[in-house]
Amino acid sequence: MIRSFPFTGESYFSLFEAYNDTIWPAQIAAYLLGLLVLLLALRPTAAGGRIALAVLALFWLWNGIVYHFGFFLQINFAAVPFGTLFTLQGLLLAGSAMRGGRQLRFVPDPTGWVALAFVLFALFAYPLLAWLAGHGWPRAAMFGVAATPMTIFTFGVLLMLQGRSAVLLGVLPLLWALAAGLAAVVRLGAPEDWSLLLAGIVGFTLLVWKRRQAQA
Amino acid sequence: MNLITRRKFIGSLGAAATIPAWSESHAASGPIITRAIPKSGEKVPMIGLGTWITFNVGSDEKLRAARAQVMQAFFDGGGTLIDSSPMYGSSEGVVGYGLAHTKRPALFAATKVWTMFKPLGVNQMENSRKLWGVERFDLMQVHNLLDWSTHLATLKEMKAQGRLRYIGVTTSQGWRHGDLASVMRSEPLDFVQFTYNVADREVEDVLLPLAAERGIAVIINRPFQEGALINKMKNFPLPTWASEIDCTNWAQFLLKFIISHPAVTCVIPATRRVDHMQENLGAMRGRLPDARMRLRMLRHAENV
Repeated sequence: MIRSFPFTGESYFSLFEAYNDTIWPAQIAAYLLGLLVLLLALRPTAAGGRIALAVLALFWLWNGIVYHFGFFLQINFAAVPFGTLFTLQGLLLAGSAMRGGRQLRFVPDPTGWVALAFVLFALFAYPLLAWLAGHGWPRAAMFGVAATPMTIFTFGVLLMLQGRSAVLLGVLPLLWALAAGLAAVVRLGAPEDWSLLLAGIVGFTLLVWKRRQAQA
Repeated sequence: MNLITRRKFIGSLGAAATIPAWSESHAASGPIITRAIPKSGEKVPMIGLGTWITFNVGSDEKLRAARAQVMQAFFDGGGTLIDSSPMYGSSEGVVGYGLAHTKRPALFAATKVWTMFKPLGVNQMENSRKLWGVERFDLMQVHNLLDWSTHLATLKEMKAQGRLRYIGVTTSQGWRHGDLASVMRSEPLDFVQFTYNVADREVEDVLLPLAAERGIAVIINRPFQEGALINKMKNFPLPTWASEIDCTNWAQFLLKFIISHPAVTCVIPATRRVDHMQENLGAMRGRLPDARMRLRMLRHAENV
């Protein structure tokens, strides 16, 4: 599958430049929403869980519809199944936000610290790593509007949700992390995407472990 | 079925191409090597231009202009056949951009239909025609045999109406060779396309002899295994005896091995660089290897 990737890293990052130019200043709005979720995790409120899930839903729907169908489809026919997967995940998250029953709260235990690390990494460290790897602005995959940091952020938020298990909400992000992480590292020369692979595997494992702990 | 044996086939190597009377050791001069399309006798230059990956550059103006330069080098060097597909992302639009920004004496426009169902196929082919900016395609192929029976019926109709000149079916990387052979035996194809190079030679056993027997032109894709063969070989010096077949680099060595097979009509290496395009085009001038030299090339490639 990886041998048949239909575009080069050069084309991919050129597309990202066009994407960032077109959607500006959506990147700032995405950062503000991400910071809001971080604040709600550190200072929990009754509606924090719903708001966090709604923000995640918005991010996934944006990435599915605007990025995949609107841009990535220009160079990759696989944007159709990917965009569909992202849109489905967005609808699942929106459904969970409406249903409620989960609270967003940072708990200072090992899982909580990993979750916080994911959120901070997605917001601040990932763009820095991308810049160091030569993929800085305007070619950078920005928080919220680009799939990789958004997926890492998603695992962080899901791990900070208390109440009903969020394992099912992590299945599609895990599939994406495995497929896209491997492809980006191997074919596109984007070493910063090792973090996506790691976040997918560690994040989903902790979600399963957290559910087992709750059931014990 | 009267299949040509591999021994007979190797014995006939070098006999089918229109090879110039040529004894100089420079690959860059002399007439272009062409080969006739069996169904019509029309001759095409044996080095074409593929667009998989390399031409999929989206709407980036700078990258589109760079690909147009590659196309200009291709036309300037005597190339005519360009092959693409709607599966290749933005490649067809980039080819269209290149055609609008280059001067060319001739073009052999080849693309594919890659979808299910007749209405979607018809719509896709019309969209491809608009992207290329051509009046009609010379060759339309069913990509990777996808819904081939439906599309071949449409292509036959279009050919009868003069909306296409040739029709064909493609595969790559060794996929569905058995199915392709069945289609070649049962349908009136003008062209087939599949993978052949010094490392992938399964097609020598059935598909190439079958194409020769049925009078089907053959386009070869992935001559460098998406660059893997070149990357492997560039670490070693070109053997001195490569000059006997007028090769000055590994790309020409690999391409001349392919086009010296008598059943091959054209090979379509893809590149994004003008200098690589010029290297590739050098393979369609000068002497081609005979059967003995082909075996020597194979042995050498296997040991590199």
